[in-house]
Amino acid sequence: MLEFMKRKVMPYRLRVWVVVSTALIVLFTAMPSNGQTSPTTTSQIPRMPDGKPNLTGLWQTLGTAYWDIRDHSAQPGPLFQLGATGAMPAGQGIVEGGEIPYTPAAAAKQKENLQNRMALDPEIRCYMPGIPRANYMPFPFQIIQSQRDVAFAYEYASSNRVVNVGKFREAAVDTWMGTSNGHWEGDTLVVDVSGLNGNSWFDRSGNFQTDNTHVVERFTLGDADHINYEASIEDETIYTRPWKISTVFYRRKEKNAQLNEFKCVEFTEELIYGHLKKK
Amino acid sequence: MGHRPAVSIAPMVILAVLAGMFALAAESAIAQADKGAPVAKNWTPPKTPWGDPDLQGTWTSDDCIGTPLNRPANLGETLYYSKQELAQRESQLAKQQQNDLQEFVAPDQRVGTGPPSHWAERARRPCKQTSLVVDPLNGRTPDLLPEAQTRRIPEGANNDNPKADSWEDFSYYIRCISRGVTGSIFPVIYGNGQQILQAPGYVTILQEMVHEARVIPVDGRPHASPRIRSYMGDPRGHWDGDTLVVETTNFLGNRTGIGLNGGGTPTSDALKLIERYTRTGSSEIEYEVTIDDPKTFTRPFKVAFPLTQEPGYQNFEYACHEGNYAMSNSLSGARAQEKAAAEAAKKK
Repeated sequence: MLEFMKRKVMPYRLRVWVVVSTALIVLFTAMPSNGQTSPTTTSQIPRMPDGKPNLTGLWQTLGTAYWDIRDHSAQPGPLFQLGATGAMPAGQGIVEGGEIPYTPAAAAKQKENLQNRMALDPEIRCYMPGIPRANYMPFPFQIIQSQRDVAFAYEYASSNRVVNVGKFREAAVDTWMGTSNGHWEGDTLVVDVSGLNGNSWFDRSGNFQTDNTHVVERFTLGDADHINYEASIEDETIYTRPWKISTVFYRRKEKNAQLNEFKCVEFTEELIYGHLKKK
Repeated sequence: MGHRPAVSIAPMVILAVLAGMFALAAESAIAQADKGAPVAKNWTPPKTPWGDPDLQGTWTSDDCIGTPLNRPANLGETLYYSKQELAQRESQLAKQQQNDLQEFVAPDQRVGTGPPSHWAERARRPCKQTSLVVDPLNGRTPDLLPEAQTRRIPEGANNDNPKADSWEDFSYYIRCISRGVTGSIFPVIYGNGQQILQAPGYVTILQEMVHEARVIPVDGRPHASPRIRSYMGDPRGHWDGDTLVVETTNFLGNRTGIGLNGGGTPTSDALKLIERYTRTGSSEIEYEVTIDDPKTFTRPFKVAFPLTQEPGYQNFEYACHEGNYAMSNSLSGARAQEKAAAEAAKKK
């Protein structure tokens, strides 16, 4: 139609009518109904044949929550040898309200973790990242949504999990990635994560969980290319109240974007076993 | 079929058809090995709601546990066991299952350091094949090219040979890095689970051991740049009727081999795998892989075996590297032995 207009085949009055009516349609479509201010146009999200939102795709967060899930200033990284490439950029945190409600003992443990992070951070050793950390690492992850269950394949350490959607399954055993049970609340996939083994951290700053930690995640497509992510975290052994994180997953849209392989074990062997090598 | 006479005749017709099918089964088994997987006649392969063939579920290659990759030379070109041999193997399995139920070792028995027998996973029914290799006809991996014969095989170190000087003396499996594509599906003593999940445009295969997740696009996109190489390669799938065909390239060279758990002579960066997954019944997939590595083998060859879905079978998290105490212990053991030997030499 625009091409048609440019070529001046369309009479002027008709052109005005087209422009005005198009503008009106755009305006009315964008206007929230029932006075709500939600920017979500749910009709435009990809859906499965049964009408559920389809989360399938390659996703990644932006930001620096993987350094510290709380608001943080720029600061030196743990290894001065890496210069600017190893430094920690400033960033807005993803913790709602800004603070993690640690008990005094847990707050002290977090500081200790931070001081010893080179020895203690499971990410440095290529251990599975756990939930929710896997979701906001500086790597993409692939969601594969079937007519029932939903698989997550994370690039970092080839870690993965399957969200069981259907009859609730108790965690058979504690694991790094936990046991994920999902259900749909309207257009939101709610995932209950239990059976976490407590060895995972939330970030590179020593924020931690235990084997009592219970995570409930919420995945909602804001539009075709954004997932609004929320997780509530409960653990009365280290937090004084439940708390929440929220961030956004962006769809990787490069023409050739795909999940790559990051098998980091071999990048850690010198670090982990180096002292046991034959001299 | 609303009329009574038709209903009463139907079972007889079905019985007759079934009898005929059984009579033909033995003869057709061999012919079908070449023609591809036999699909049950009274069964329609399921489709996903978006219209792709539905292969979803958790599958295992357990039934061919213990079947050698290469056929013993004395069996020549016999791919399938005879009825009699199968019956024999079935009774062996039953005996094994009985042994596995034993909770405590009998008081007069010697106890070794090996795991108890119930520790391993078991075949539920006898594997019909004498080898996993089905082509060439002798059921054996083709000869290695001269250039491949000199490739170092990280055997997995023991006390003496090879010595555990470094983690690099161990296989990529023992190091908890990867078993490669074929090593992750060929049947071994445990952890043979393959959970298949599909989405529009994707098939994913989640493999229990060393926690692999193969994300396979089935949307016709081209392979990734040949500069991007990996242990598990770059898979691309398409549907050939109801069969999932997966072509995988872009492998790192000189890592894992085609042996069990990715052992054996490491393959090259020219390796190309073509896998075929055909659902032949509600709980069986016929799996087939053509292995083509023009820098390693004198010719392409084919491995095939069934995958089955078993009640209650599920994948568990296999945190291999996270719990790899064997590596620290093997290395520190070797260093302790060296120290003891050096001290003994000093005393002499």
